[in-house]
Amino acid sequence: MKSKTRLNQRRNIYGWLFLIPAVVLIATMSFAPAVSALITSFKTGNGADLHFGGLKNYSRILKDAVFVQSIKNCFFYLIIQVPIMLILALILASMLNNNKLRFKGIMRTCIFLPCATSLVAYSIIFRTLFATDGFVNLVATKLHIISEPYNFLAHPTSAKIVIIIALVWRWTGYNMVFYLAGLQNIEYSVYEAAKIDGASALQTFLRITIPLLKPTILLTAIMSTNGTLQLFDESVNLTNGGPSNASITMSHYIYNQAFQGVPKFGYTSAMSFVILFLVAILAAVQLKVGDKRD
Amino acid sequence: MKRKLLGMLLTVSMTATILAGCGGSAPAPAGTADSSAQDTQTADTAEEPAKDSETADTQDASADTGNAGSGDSTLTVWTWDPNFNIYSITEAEKIYQKENPDFKLEIVETPWEDMQTNLGTILGSGNLSQLPDILLMQDFAFQKYAITYPDMFTDLTGSGIDFSKFGPGKLGESTVDGKNLGVPFDAGTEVACYRKDILEQAGYTVEDLTDIDWDKFIEIGKDVKAKTGYSLFSTQAGSADFIMQMVQSAGGKIWKDDGTPDFVGNEILVKSLETYKELFDTGVMDTGNSWDEYIATFTSGKTLGTINGCWIIASVQADETQSGLWSLTNMPKLSGISSATNYSNQGGSTWVITSNCKNVELASDFFAKTFAGSNELYDTILPGCAAISCWTPAASSSVYSEPIEFFGGEKIYSKIADFGAKVPAFERGVYFTEANTAIATAATNIVNGADIDKELEAAEETVNFNMGN
Repeated sequence: MKSKTRLNQRRNIYGWLFLIPAVVLIATMSFAPAVSALITSFKTGNGADLHFGGLKNYSRILKDAVFVQSIKNCFFYLIIQVPIMLILALILASMLNNNKLRFKGIMRTCIFLPCATSLVAYSIIFRTLFATDGFVNLVATKLHIISEPYNFLAHPTSAKIVIIIALVWRWTGYNMVFYLAGLQNIEYSVYEAAKIDGASALQTFLRITIPLLKPTILLTAIMSTNGTLQLFDESVNLTNGGPSNASITMSHYIYNQAFQGVPKFGYTSAMSFVILFLVAILAAVQLKVGDKRD
Repeated sequence: MKRKLLGMLLTVSMTATILAGCGGSAPAPAGTADSSAQDTQTADTAEEPAKDSETADTQDASADTGNAGSGDSTLTVWTWDPNFNIYSITEAEKIYQKENPDFKLEIVETPWEDMQTNLGTILGSGNLSQLPDILLMQDFAFQKYAITYPDMFTDLTGSGIDFSKFGPGKLGESTVDGKNLGVPFDAGTEVACYRKDILEQAGYTVEDLTDIDWDKFIEIGKDVKAKTGYSLFSTQAGSADFIMQMVQSAGGKIWKDDGTPDFVGNEILVKSLETYKELFDTGVMDTGNSWDEYIATFTSGKTLGTINGCWIIASVQADETQSGLWSLTNMPKLSGISSATNYSNQGGSTWVITSNCKNVELASDFFAKTFAGSNELYDTILPGCAAISCWTPAASSSVYSEPIEFFGGEKIYSKIADFGAKVPAFERGVYFTEANTAIATAATNIVNGADIDKELEAAEETVNFNMGN
């Protein structure tokens, strides 16, 4: 009995020893800067000349028309893009889960491939595709869908839609992989049984796939929400926030404020914590709604 | 419940991790390394960013700073354009090496966008030891850094560099409280370049576009557009650089004496925006969404010309098949404004010796004998990369009066030097980037039909907000 406790203790110590490097790294590389950013967010001033200003930065945020606009933009992306992307990913995943399908590996790879591209590179490619003399306009005019090239990036709504299309292209495959992994945990016999009972493809999808994938769906929803609210590369490289801030994201605006004009690190840190706060609230809501396990 | 809590905690910490970077350094896009890096437009657009190389750059640079300590005659330089300012300072290094064979420059190619991010991070953290010995600074940002981070500069007044040989307007960009904080490098004198062959098809010559006002320009532009389908020139959408150029050409200003924005009811600014809208509506002016699209408008045939700082010549000359077809003249002036001229400025940059420079004496001697004292240098870099000097003795150089074949044998450099002497002064101020962005937003809305006064009011409010704490 005694030796068993000692063994357990030893195991525990080893466990902790193995954890220490990671804990130290995370604490010094992530948590310490985060705390220091929190402290900075209470300071006001330009450049290196910072002094304590209390909650001034946070009250200032509400008066910042451009930041409010950027919040609206992010929520626009979130509300439109995330559902489209997740539903597409679900459909693709359940299609590719079919045991009888041939060339599954190649197709999975192809759909996942966009995710391996650099964020900046793909943003620039999309910008070129949707340029006035770009590929999309060329095809559309040649097919006589439109008579004159349309300047997608110069109109508020179309600029946002281009970003959404780009995001869907880039991230659908990524989420699909999560669903595929989740689907491996569902016994194929369940589907076969459903088939014998005469369930249609839609019924199987709605009654078996979705309920059993719920934890995965929750995970991808939280990750996508998190990612969308922190969108940066697409806004910077694809539309440059334009036209007139119509597609600017919160992170892009924060970057501009910190590094383009006269730097205000206190204010930008405060804005960053607003994003954190928004993500935390949304994650809490999603957990509340989605996770009914305990 | 426990699991839920854990999940929540994980999500929050995940975001916190990513956000933590925002306090010090956000992920940075990079500017292009082409000649466009000379311009605020690139500062506004992030092109071909190399996120990875950005951090690599910083590391390289710090490594360089560290290594260079072994030999005191090696200086680290941050600058951005291989065909332009890197080329120029390399030529300067060669000249200085004739007298000082040990002298060496470690040049780290740092796009302006990256430079801004690096400087923001280094100066914000207060760890100035990461700065290079020398860096190149955009003139439009000089006052911002000089006021916000006075600690980053070495005061060069009385360092042996003869500042009296630089034009006063240009020198003013890098002077704060009578102290010389930089060595002027290139000017961005405004030029207008047009394709002669296409103009001729429409029955016009470049003389018709010389010394005219925008009304006449639009009249000719409409005719040319109807006959040939070409617009006369283009601008980059989402940037107010061109509007600023118009304001400067008429000797206008964007700041009141107390330093607050002077937008609403600013006659010259309103006239510039009206002209901008008319140019857009008539199709005489085309727009590119990004810098590369903008360059493509005049290199690949949507517009027959371009109006910008003289460094744009490097991009105009990119296509050798068009040699001899171009001509250079001055920009149109605002009509109905008594102070209007045909001359303006866009861009230009200044060398800075940082406060982290380990051998200020050597660095200032290098500048005194090259950029502030070598005809040989300017004779090399003018034809080499079209760097228009701000060092007055260089203007008498014979190189300036050489005919340039690409421009059909015109003596474009003496023309530009002549334009440069007539450019009205323009106060950019500390908050120039903020003003530029706000007016760009206003201009986009105005072009789409919004009311000028209302938009200017909103722009003024935005700038006032950004100036407050």
